[in-house]
Amino acid sequence: MNEGRVIASNVEKVYRSERTPTTAIEDLSFEVGDGEFFSVVGPSGCGKSTLLYLIAGFLDVTSGMITVNDHAVEGPGTDRGVVFQDYALFPWKTVMGNVTYGLAENGVPKDERRETAQHFIDTMGLDGFEDTYPKELSGGMKQRVGLARTLAYDPKILLMDEPFGALDQPLREALQDNLLDIWRELGKTVVFITHDVEEAVYLSERVLIMTRHPGTRKQVIDIDLDRTQDREAIITSEEFTETKNEVWRSLREETKHTV
Amino acid sequence: MDVTNIARISRHDVVEGAKSIYSLILLIALWELITQAGLIHYYFLPPLSDVLIEGYELTVSGEMIQASLLTLKRAFLGLLIATVLGVPIGILIARNRFVGWFFDPIITIGYPVPIISLIPVFMLWFGIGDVSKIILVGVGTFWPIAINARNSARAVNQNLIWSARMMGTPKRNLVWKVVVPDAAPGVLTGIQIALPLSLIITFVFEMVAGGGGLGHLEIQGVRSFTSTQTYATLIAIMLIGFVLDGTLRKIRRRLLRWA
Repeated sequence: MNEGRVIASNVEKVYRSERTPTTAIEDLSFEVGDGEFFSVVGPSGCGKSTLLYLIAGFLDVTSGMITVNDHAVEGPGTDRGVVFQDYALFPWKTVMGNVTYGLAENGVPKDERRETAQHFIDTMGLDGFEDTYPKELSGGMKQRVGLARTLAYDPKILLMDEPFGALDQPLREALQDNLLDIWRELGKTVVFITHDVEEAVYLSERVLIMTRHPGTRKQVIDIDLDRTQDREAIITSEEFTETKNEVWRSLREETKHTV
Repeated sequence: MDVTNIARISRHDVVEGAKSIYSLILLIALWELITQAGLIHYYFLPPLSDVLIEGYELTVSGEMIQASLLTLKRAFLGLLIATVLGVPIGILIARNRFVGWFFDPIITIGYPVPIISLIPVFMLWFGIGDVSKIILVGVGTFWPIAINARNSARAVNQNLIWSARMMGTPKRNLVWKVVVPDAAPGVLTGIQIALPLSLIITFVFEMVAGGGGLGHLEIQGVRSFTSTQTYATLIAIMLIGFVLDGTLRKIRRRLLRWA
């Protein structure tokens, strides 16, 4: 049974590296179902990236527990794949080299590696750029490589840290729709961090709104949109506008304190 | 391609070439004119033509070639030792805090020492032979190589390390898979800085302590009132520096196409 269920129970994260310890996350609990698209929004500095890195296993929880598929997270694992805001591609490897890396590290034979990688390179519209180095690619292209390399080694859960935050609007929309197609086709669980309310509502089935520093759960809002429609129909629908306003109002209560 | 096109390109090249060396030609012409006119005492600055003749004679007699090989051998062996020790130590300082605690103060004290001031000490300890010179070059070039390796290994993007971890790279392989390739440009910069330094240390040691080599040949010209020999050796030194620097640049471009 390889399910992509994520459960956070009473998670606390304290950074002790500074002289005075800072609590980034406090008493945070939520559950993400298998195959669910789950977004996390919150004011900046609320610890949403920290939360993602805790699920990824890059950081350790101070107290509480995070389980993935009923196993406590004890470090990174190939059942989870992170898509970083700054792409984090290996600059010394070509697009093909970046996308095959995870497969090679997991002992997939060479021919199979190339075949799988080529499939995801094509899926992300990167065909023809196999031998290109990251520095020669635009931001949007880099993030396509970032998605392709993560999809290639087939993690059950995608952890996305404001992946489209650095891109301009048309590119962002194109990649959002790409991501939705992939999510529907491959049935991955997605935990998506963003500060863009519209993005969160457009993409996800549920949105977690976090309080400002230290971050904890403020509210989880269900999003019920008719996803058989195209983008324009969705974003002009009444449900969309209503949900967006609801999330926005909740978030605004938090940001008000900071300004 | 027609002939006129080729002619146009070559004319362009000639113009560009002339632009880049005309100041040098002027200086050389000035040198020849002033010295031929007897405005400067022959011993202080002989005409370039006499210097070139002396250089030619030293070359066909084998003296210049032997001296060059001797100097290059000393500089290269010293540089090799410094690279073999400095690169891994620099990277280990950055990756392991115990190694860092040990070496950081040594580097802080050792790096600012004007390496030339150690020549007398090295003469006391190791004499004036090859071994003494090679070790001094090794010690003198160790610092920039180790420091550049350390700094670039410290600057490795944490997200690259996390990327490798999430794709299944075990901790013990991170240095090979991520740190070394990401630090490679900085490591090469250190070696490029160390190369002229290795020649400087060798020349000075040869001037002070003798034992053959270009530095010895150059100062011998002053001591025996044959300043043409001094200038001929100086030109050889400049040529060697120019060629070696260019070669390293070429190697860098070849190795770091991705950077």
